[in-house]
Amino acid sequence: MLRSAGARGTVGPVRAREPDRSGYAVRSGVRLYYEVFGAGPVTVLLLPTWAIVHSRTWKLQVPYLARHFRVVTFDPRGNGRSDRPSDPDDYADAELVADALAVLDETGTDRAVCIGLSMGGRVLLQLAAARPERVAGAVFVAPALRIDLGLPVPARWVHPFEEELDSSEGWAKYNVHHWRRDLGDFAEFFFRELFAEPHSTKQVDDAVGWALQTDPETLAATHRAPFLGDGSGRSEPTVSDLAARVRCPALVIHGSVDRIVDHRTGLALAEALGCPVEVFDGGGHCVHARHPVRFNLLVRQFGEAVAGARA
Amino acid sequence: MRAREPDDTGYAVVDGVRTYYEVFGTGPTTLLMMGTFPVVDGRQWKGQVPYLARHFRVVTWDPRGNGASDRPTGPDAYADEVYARDAAAVLDATGTDAAFVVALCSGIKWSLLLATAGPKRVRGLVAIAPGVHPLAPHPHPLQTVDQQQWCGDFAGWVDYHSDVLLPEPHSSKVFEDLVGWSLQTDAEVIGARTHAPLRPATDDETIEMSRALTCPVLVLHGSEDTCQPPERGRRFAELTGGQFVVLDGVGHLPHGRHPVLVNTLIREFVDMHTTRSPQRSAWLFARERKRRVLWVCSPIGLGHVLRDLAIARSLRERVPDLEIEWLAQPPVSGVLRANGEIIHPASAELASESAHWESEATHHDLHAFYAFRRMDEILCANYMLFDDVVRETPYDLWVGDESWEVDHFLHENPERKIAPYAFLTDVTGFLPIDPDNDPREAELCADYNAEVIEHLDRFPYVRDRSMFIGDFAELPDASLGPGLPRVREWSERIYSSVPYVVPFDPAAYRRPAALRCRLGYGTGYPLYVAAVGGTSVGRDLLELTAEAFALVRTEQPDARMVMVTGPRLHVDELPDVEGMDKRGYVPDLFEHLACADVAVVQGGLSTTMELVAARRPFVYFPLANHWEQQHFVAHRLDHYRAGVRMQYAATRPPDLAAAMVAAQRSRPAYRTVRRGGAAKAAHQLATLLRR
Repeated sequence: MLRSAGARGTVGPVRAREPDRSGYAVRSGVRLYYEVFGAGPVTVLLLPTWAIVHSRTWKLQVPYLARHFRVVTFDPRGNGRSDRPSDPDDYADAELVADALAVLDETGTDRAVCIGLSMGGRVLLQLAAARPERVAGAVFVAPALRIDLGLPVPARWVHPFEEELDSSEGWAKYNVHHWRRDLGDFAEFFFRELFAEPHSTKQVDDAVGWALQTDPETLAATHRAPFLGDGSGRSEPTVSDLAARVRCPALVIHGSVDRIVDHRTGLALAEALGCPVEVFDGGGHCVHARHPVRFNLLVRQFGEAVAGARA
Repeated sequence: MRAREPDDTGYAVVDGVRTYYEVFGTGPTTLLMMGTFPVVDGRQWKGQVPYLARHFRVVTWDPRGNGASDRPTGPDAYADEVYARDAAAVLDATGTDAAFVVALCSGIKWSLLLATAGPKRVRGLVAIAPGVHPLAPHPHPLQTVDQQQWCGDFAGWVDYHSDVLLPEPHSSKVFEDLVGWSLQTDAEVIGARTHAPLRPATDDETIEMSRALTCPVLVLHGSEDTCQPPERGRRFAELTGGQFVVLDGVGHLPHGRHPVLVNTLIREFVDMHTTRSPQRSAWLFARERKRRVLWVCSPIGLGHVLRDLAIARSLRERVPDLEIEWLAQPPVSGVLRANGEIIHPASAELASESAHWESEATHHDLHAFYAFRRMDEILCANYMLFDDVVRETPYDLWVGDESWEVDHFLHENPERKIAPYAFLTDVTGFLPIDPDNDPREAELCADYNAEVIEHLDRFPYVRDRSMFIGDFAELPDASLGPGLPRVREWSERIYSSVPYVVPFDPAAYRRPAALRCRLGYGTGYPLYVAAVGGTSVGRDLLELTAEAFALVRTEQPDARMVMVTGPRLHVDELPDVEGMDKRGYVPDLFEHLACADVAVVQGGLSTTMELVAARRPFVYFPLANHWEQQHFVAHRLDHYRAGVRMQYAATRPPDLAAAMVAAQRSRPAYRTVRRGGAAKAAHQLATLLRR
């Protein structure tokens, strides 16, 4: 197995497409860094996902999509050029939904075709349900939703997060003490799990580099934050309640060998939404990074269909 | 033959005038193919219907004044408003609440009126060359049927009118279709329509109605359209907020002349504006894919499939992890299935080529060129099916054995090629049968050849391999047409040659006496075997052969004949002759031919070449007017110094009897058929599949 280059694999100075505009949206003192690319009547908002990476995860999408749409990205609170609050409650789903709305407001975007990856898919579902007038279309990529499908508990939840463990092998690396000792080691393990496909070294290197731009305490705060379906027992809507409130066209994209979110979750969401699903056979959790051409074409097609239906 | 028959037909009636409609396919989304100016009927959509009906429910109708619809008199009966009412009546009669409308020229006005009367009925509009007159002036309006010079010459006007609508080269078949449909009506109807009351009548009304259209609109307009200036299309798109697509170099009838493009645009448009039922589609990570070939095998004769099977076997030895799927129809698919091959399920949807050829053949006469030309609709339908199939599954290679539909439409639409493609053939041009008495045939053959030559010169990347089955010396040295190269010279430039593929090892048939004993014939007497293929076309030839054999018996009293009638003819339909054994079917027919002292056969390539390889004397009758049998096969057999060629129409029983006896006394001195054809072809295909 090739050893990951870690931080050496991070972004070089030259980007394929520079933003036309950038700035900060500020919510309760937390600054969110956004970028805007291209112009046109239809905006595509590429939502952030877990703050272990930031908006550069969309680097293979932006240049192409910006040829056809106006594209907005932003760094999640906790990574990139956005602020890193320390209180877990600051990373609650409700905050992440509000961040997306703040960026839409700040960039003067009434409505957008929104793309949510993994955790971002969970945020998108809540955004589209709460504010249908802002979401023209929704693409869910490997949405990290907890739907009762009788699936085994995800491996990352097996080991206690807060306790010092004897082992630091495999998913035992998903542990705050290990993160404090060697966040890069966890990140490398984690992204190798994410990229289930052979020949994904560059994707792993990139992501490890982004992970090292945040820090163990911030990441631990994101882990401790309340989220939809976290089992805390507070009253909240179910996935099907939320899906019923989504009024825009939707599309689910999911890799069939995703080891982070079982692809049956994506199929179940598509069924709840009554929307088409595109399965990437042999694809892992991050098909946008590993299979960018197919992914980009699907998003463009979807965006154009949404735009056409409105015309 | 039509490529797709309607599932339902009927009449919608408005004020006592009947409008004939046809319905194809099923599904939640209906496409109404609008009628237009009554120089055509609903068949103008023949290039669209088979494909669109795979995906949608499709309704066509004949505009009053043409086709199977009534022909009322007077301009008022042909008013725009009346046609719009006919369209609404067709929707009612077919139980269609709302439909996507595909319309041409005047049909766009009727679509506007239909939408104005019931906005919810029109879900979307594909407007081809919209005839919305007031929107832009026409610099040179077309001549009308009632102008002085066409008085009393409706056919002359039809020629003129059809010609100006089709400025594209190589449009002879579309032109002929158009003339044919136009001649289904007359000057009175066309004159009445020409003076019918118009709606929308004014600039303002046209603008108002176009702006009021709320459904999505797609406008297609040829840049060379002489009937409707492209500016009208542009203005119409602007007013309706629709998408405007200019088709460069295209005339007034893009759906007739460029069906693949128009079909895919229509489908994309409708797909974009319908909420498809939730569906799951899968894309397989490229490195996980199996090595897969789609093999398109022509159903004309069984020769293709036998050589394809031989090549496929050899290819599998070279590329062991290969999976081959066949797109093939009966009888070829039956042979493939019997050999354990995988038939692609979409094969069941192929429009029948075999039925077309049978419908074209009479009395040992098949005008193969005209029959091929009349197969345009089937070829288009089957290309579109292929186009769907290769987009549903990624293939590593497409192989086409005389896959004329794939070859033609890929060169017409080279952007549709998404995989390596190899083409095999044993015939490399259209040669006229009777240039002296049928100059039209000579002209059309030359036009077809010119188009193929242009295609291959302009888009050399469409075919990754072009294989001619045989040596170039086996090709006739004839001209492909005035100003065009000669067959052999051109073929040498385009094709690589692989030896003729015989589906057996000729060495196994070198001892006819042993074979005769194995088949129970014994030896010591002259054995004649006659077989003329599996269709009823051969009946006349069998009757002639029976009479000839009776004469042979007067000279050779111990001679015997085995006559194989094939599945379509009952043995009782043929006369009884002393010494002649009639059989409906024999398994492994070829072995019986291979041990005959003389075989009497038709002029098909496979059977005759098998006799050459087995070195048996034979008399053969090429089908009259069959350019391939008369030119290509005949020349090839001459090259091998094999066979006695006779023409059915000029042969009396004594002539045939004499030829049979002479052949029985001859010692074949045939040129040897080179071996290894299948391996050589397989090698070429393998280079496209692996390094």
